[in-house]
Amino acid sequence: MKYVPLIWAALRRRKARTVLTSLSIVTAFFLFGVLQGVNVAIKQAVSRMSPARLVVFSRSLGQPMPIAYAARIAAVPGVAAVTGMAFLGGTYQRPSNVQIVMGSDLAQYFKIEPEIKVAPGELAAALQTRTGVIVGRALAQKEGWKIGDRIPLHGLGPAKKDGSSDWVFDIVGLYDMPEQPESATQIFGNYDYINEERGSDQNTSIEFGVGLKDPHQATRVAQRIDELFANSPGQTRTQSERDFLESILRQVGDINYLVNAIVGAVLFTLLFLIANTMAQSVRERIPELAVLKTVGFSDSAVQWLVLAEALLLSLAGAMIGVGLAGLVIPLAGLQVQGSRMHVPHAVFAAAAGAGILLALVSGVPPALRARRLEVAAALAAR
Amino acid sequence: MAAVVSLKNVIKRYTRGKQQVEVLHGLDLEVESGEFLALMGPSGSGKTTLLNLIGGLDRPDEGEVWVAGSRLDELSSGELARWRARHVGFVFQFYNLLPVLTAERNVEVPLLLTKLSRSQRKQNVRAALELVGLADRAKHKPAELSGGQQQRVAIARALIADPTLVVCDEPTGDLDRTSAEEILGLLEILNRKQGKTIIMVTHDPLAAAHASRRLHVDKGRLTVQEERSAA
Repeated sequence: MKYVPLIWAALRRRKARTVLTSLSIVTAFFLFGVLQGVNVAIKQAVSRMSPARLVVFSRSLGQPMPIAYAARIAAVPGVAAVTGMAFLGGTYQRPSNVQIVMGSDLAQYFKIEPEIKVAPGELAAALQTRTGVIVGRALAQKEGWKIGDRIPLHGLGPAKKDGSSDWVFDIVGLYDMPEQPESATQIFGNYDYINEERGSDQNTSIEFGVGLKDPHQATRVAQRIDELFANSPGQTRTQSERDFLESILRQVGDINYLVNAIVGAVLFTLLFLIANTMAQSVRERIPELAVLKTVGFSDSAVQWLVLAEALLLSLAGAMIGVGLAGLVIPLAGLQVQGSRMHVPHAVFAAAAGAGILLALVSGVPPALRARRLEVAAALAAR
Repeated sequence: MAAVVSLKNVIKRYTRGKQQVEVLHGLDLEVESGEFLALMGPSGSGKTTLLNLIGGLDRPDEGEVWVAGSRLDELSSGELARWRARHVGFVFQFYNLLPVLTAERNVEVPLLLTKLSRSQRKQNVRAALELVGLADRAKHKPAELSGGQQQRVAIARALIADPTLVVCDEPTGDLDRTSAEEILGLLEILNRKQGKTIIMVTHDPLAAAHASRRLHVDKGRLTVQEERSAA
């Protein structure tokens, strides 16, 4: 600790250069934190998707399928539960507050998604109440909703059958997701209500959710479902939830590779920046380093002082940068497939590791130069 | 009195390009404890080289360098650094203070190598600055001090670890006459009242007049020796 003033003084010697270098490091590690946050959120979303649940889409992208498919899918051996889906997007109270109601056969849906926990009485109430919805507890807390509240939504899609766009839902239950409480942000309603009231696409489903008796049979059941409709005008494409999400993400590109490539390029550039700063700093201070040796600092003590300087610069910048990312991301409230983005502890540890590595790689050459400094020659050159 | 510095047949060579140049030719020297020795001579005569050998900043190519009971030419680099920290204080022509540190922090630097506590270090720094008459400038950085004041800070730094020997390389070379006299007066006090052994390289005969003995170095050899008559 007693050497800290010496290290700090060295960094303050050229304040502008130190500040600019620090800002570059902070910015780079902020980017590192944000991108890793995205990456982790995607991985979490993918891992949360069950390989034991199937989703059935039309092979004609975006085309709804007849709801009658549900009964035929239910008859496929190995299928435990199936539901059609109808989505309703609408604004609540203000145009920017968009809410989506996922209409389904709720009894089937909660069998397919067992990690969503809802009290049996509340589920029964939803099944008995045409306009009943079950709301995620996190969303209810955010909006100040409670059981018994009526929520009006102004529909964003085509008008209802009666020509209006005003929908009304009654909250009859709240659901929890014990493993990810912050992800309980959806609204589940009755397919029948949305289907009967909507002005178009009646008796269709944009997708079917399928639960399996045996998760290991997923591939075989998916094939059987697609074979069912192979000769119909509405052919299907059945995948596990996880495969489905991964295929969507693959359309964006290999995100993991992209993130690592960007972060790698940024850190590589940073390496030269810090190396240049440290080399300049040591070059300018050769007489001062010689004085330290003159008063009794050993070669290795001077070497460690220079390395400590690089470490302080790099590590502090890295921690501030990734710390800012850790603060900003939750505030921004960004989500990937219901997975709230955050910077996990592992990313902080990785940033610290990267900061130390940067400091060592960029700091070792000037530190060695300082170590090898011949006192008499350095003083004579002054 | 015992010799605190003893050089025996010291030869020092430098490589300049492809040539080896012998700077000191078999030099012998003894300096007794409590002496104030002035080394004089023209530029390039080898006096700074001689001072660097005595101060443990450089090594001879041949011969023996004994200072404060240690044979410096046989010490490793680390041992030599530790020896310097314990036995020698340096005063340079251009002060060589660390520009971003305050006067007190500059003086404290050699004490960072000791096991003294922070409060003990502060106490010693205060005493050293008082000794050189700069206690009121402790918080000033070198750029905020005059040349003479900076040299006083450098002297305080040289004395802070209570060294056996103080070596000064042209300590008044960058100062006006008044400041130079103040610095020389201070060195004389340190020599007479605290018994510090001082070896000073200088061009200036007036500066050398403050020393108790003057040696002339010319072309790598000690030539003339003058002793100051007791006042």
